[in-house]
Amino acid sequence: MKFLRKLWAIPEAGIFVPLLVFTLVFFCLNQSFLEPNSVAAMLRAMTFVGIIAVGQTWLMIAGGIDLSVGSVAGLCAIVSSWLMKTQGLPVEAGLLAGLAVGFMAGLVNGLIVVRFGIPAFIATLGMLYVARGLNYLLCQGYPIYPIPDPLKDLGRAEPLGLSWAFVAFVLLAGIGDFALRRTVYGRMVYATGGNVEVARIAGINTAWVQIGCYMLTGAMAAVAGMLLMSQLNVGQPEIGVGWELDVIASVVIGGVSLFGGVGTVVGTFLGLLIMQVVRSGLVVTGVNTHWQTVAVGVIMVTAVGVDLLRRRTKIS
Amino acid sequence: MLNPDHSLNPAFALEMRGISKSFAGVRALSDVTVRVQQNHIHALIGENGAGKSTLMKILDGVYPAGTFEGQIFLRDRPVRLGSPFDARQQGIGYVPQEIGVIEGLTIAENIFVGRWNEEGGVIVDFQRLFTRAAELLDTMKIQLDPRVQVVTLNASQRQLVMIARALAARPSVLILDEATACLTLDETRNLFRVVRRLRGQALTTIFITHKMSELFEIADSATILRDGTVAAEFERAQFDEHEIVAAMVGRTIENYYPVRESAVSDREVFRVEELTVPHPHLAHRNVVDGVSFSLRRGEILGIGGLVGSGRSETVNALYGRLPHRGRIFVEGRETLVRNPREAKAHGLGLLTEDRKLDGLLFNFAIRENVTLHDLPQVSRLRVLDRAHETACAAHYLQQLSIRAPSVQTPVANLSGGNQQKVVLAKVLFPKPRVLFLDEPTKGVDVGAKNEIYKLMMGLAGQGIALVVISSELPELLALADRIVVLARGRIVDEFNKQEASEQRFMLAATGGANSHLSN
Ligand SMILES: Nc1ncnc2c1ncn2[C@@H]1O[C@H](COP(=O)(O)OP(=O)(O)OP(=O)(O)O)[C@@H](O)[C@H]1O
Ligand SMILES: [Mg+2]
Repeated sequence: MKFLRKLWAIPEAGIFVPLLVFTLVFFCLNQSFLEPNSVAAMLRAMTFVGIIAVGQTWLMIAGGIDLSVGSVAGLCAIVSSWLMKTQGLPVEAGLLAGLAVGFMAGLVNGLIVVRFGIPAFIATLGMLYVARGLNYLLCQGYPIYPIPDPLKDLGRAEPLGLSWAFVAFVLLAGIGDFALRRTVYGRMVYATGGNVEVARIAGINTAWVQIGCYMLTGAMAAVAGMLLMSQLNVGQPEIGVGWELDVIASVVIGGVSLFGGVGTVVGTFLGLLIMQVVRSGLVVTGVNTHWQTVAVGVIMVTAVGVDLLRRRTKIS
Repeated sequence: MLNPDHSLNPAFALEMRGISKSFAGVRALSDVTVRVQQNHIHALIGENGAGKSTLMKILDGVYPAGTFEGQIFLRDRPVRLGSPFDARQQGIGYVPQEIGVIEGLTIAENIFVGRWNEEGGVIVDFQRLFTRAAELLDTMKIQLDPRVQVVTLNASQRQLVMIARALAARPSVLILDEATACLTLDETRNLFRVVRRLRGQALTTIFITHKMSELFEIADSATILRDGTVAAEFERAQFDEHEIVAAMVGRTIENYYPVRESAVSDREVFRVEELTVPHPHLAHRNVVDGVSFSLRRGEILGIGGLVGSGRSETVNALYGRLPHRGRIFVEGRETLVRNPREAKAHGLGLLTEDRKLDGLLFNFAIRENVTLHDLPQVSRLRVLDRAHETACAAHYLQQLSIRAPSVQTPVANLSGGNQQKVVLAKVLFPKPRVLFLDEPTKGVDVGAKNEIYKLMMGLAGQGIALVVISSELPELLALADRIVVLARGRIVDEFNKQEASEQRFMLAATGGANSHLSN
């Protein structure tokens, strides 16, 4: 009883408990659910959305939100593959250029939101369209392939039965979590999202904290987009379509407040896991796949509800 | 209804019997009984964290029936309050300690929030609403235009709106939780007049304050809370300052205002020349107009004045929070202070007036709030050193006697006065050279005030220059080495401690407002 109460008091509990319950239920329904192959498949599936979710966690804690991440991921993949294939640039240059595009998109988002005061929702929704449009303009709507061999090999490799992309995700999530919780910069992010005025009085350059988080999110989108490109072995213009919804859903399920100032990368990781467990679980139990989408929606709203309940019981 | 005679002439207008309440295992109230006679103004006194606000939140249904033990009787009738709405229905009017106005609405809409129309209806009759608000404000002698947006009001004006809101519902029991904490002397007197008049019309008031003078001025009876229990009860005839303070803090306080022992040095650390702050909305008007003063090392300068005199605007502009003109010199060198970052870099510090609005980060615990202004000090290579951070925060917890289980307690769970102490710890942490303190002891209990005064003397002794704004005149006169009085954004008088008196101060503050008549 006391143990349960303590568990309830941990911020991530609201999400950890349901994750455990879902996993057990699906395991009972179908033992193959927790076989190594199946687990590896689940982990690989959450890689790309997961990488971006790390950046989005920072951004939303700082009080912003970015709806353009999917489009930016697609644009970066196309820009780098176009530079490498059509313009014959070396691999490194192509990748760096892709990353730069991600940073730039984030910078533009950040400047528009912070300097011109256009609501983040609108500004980044605009970027969603702009990036997707540029993407199609550049590739004329056709996939760009083949991509250079080193990249192809990178995408094909299976370290530990997983992928390099997954390794990158784990690394980025680890660094992202540590930096957010334990560094001065992370503290400034929480302060800015908590109350901009208080942060400003403390001498924090809140404008650059927020713009920095937009740039980080843009860069993460670029990384995710290019990693998927290497795995697909083609600069697919549809890369990233609809990702923004999964990213935001998992961040919110993980306990990040839409108002900023609250949340952790660990929470987001659990959020990603729960979404993936439910999706894969419904597949192994043979339910119509469209139920997955329904389930994600229900879970997101429930998770936020449970979190609110947890906070309330803690207060009174 | 069982006993009609009794309810016609009840023994008590209000009785809270055997109230106990805990928060996550921490006991805030245990077996508290408070009885208030009809038409009494009953004071509730106690240290920060004694449980006063918690008791009042129970009476207002914020903590609904079932989340506490004990019973509530109104005119000897047991009532069950499940929500603030229930409390409203029972005739309870509540002015909470933390101001909760809706900034985007007008004063009138705030006052009649939720009851914008008298007879229901979907479309709000604004003309009628403004008239009603104007009438109400008029009976309270509050000079505010009901059409004005609340966002433009300062803290004391907002407080007045909150009081008007509670009175608009014509309550039979009025709760004022430190409602005078950010009112000026005049406004407080005015409020007392209103409450006294309503007392004649069957209003029973529960009045929470940390200012002893107010207790003596207005209360008919008092209950002293200490650590969540009733420490003593007094009728007006038995009021005695020493006894009350002793019951409250459990010891007697000598030298309530400490005497300055260190000398002020001759070296100037800060000077401002012709500071002018334009009005945020009106062109060709200045809220601060040509203010100049200088500060020496270790000096305590008091800034006095009535509401709207430009006191807060002066310090906020000097800290780079408001656009301003004028020249600022730090340690003799002219410096630009265009934003708080630059101000901090020059060793300036600011404690803001409203801890809820821009004083604290409510998503953080005590520890993170305390260290926020100097993160480099608690980090190595940009990585935070948790142990060091905890130690620093714990030091202030002890020094300012902040009542909390640990430095990891969220500031949202602290009582108002303890939150104020956290704000103070926060601005002290980076060891500023010049510290602007806007109402530093707002909502702080007498014992802790005494501690804070000693602390301020200590800081001055270390050579830190302090600029103090306080609406508590005795406090200002006792602490400051020198006082400048502002009226309508201009300095109207300036005097040393030796020449200071309440008369001189009031004369300047009020006379300055219409000095153009006498000139
Ligand atoms: N929501 C909460 N969660 C946990 N503890 C709380 C909460 N609200 C109040 N407390 C604790 O209950 C105690 C009483 O608080 P309360 O706000 O009633 O004090 P108070 O007498 O009004 O003090 P002040 O003069 O500072 O306003 C304090 O120790 C406070 O920390
Ligand atoms: Mg209180």
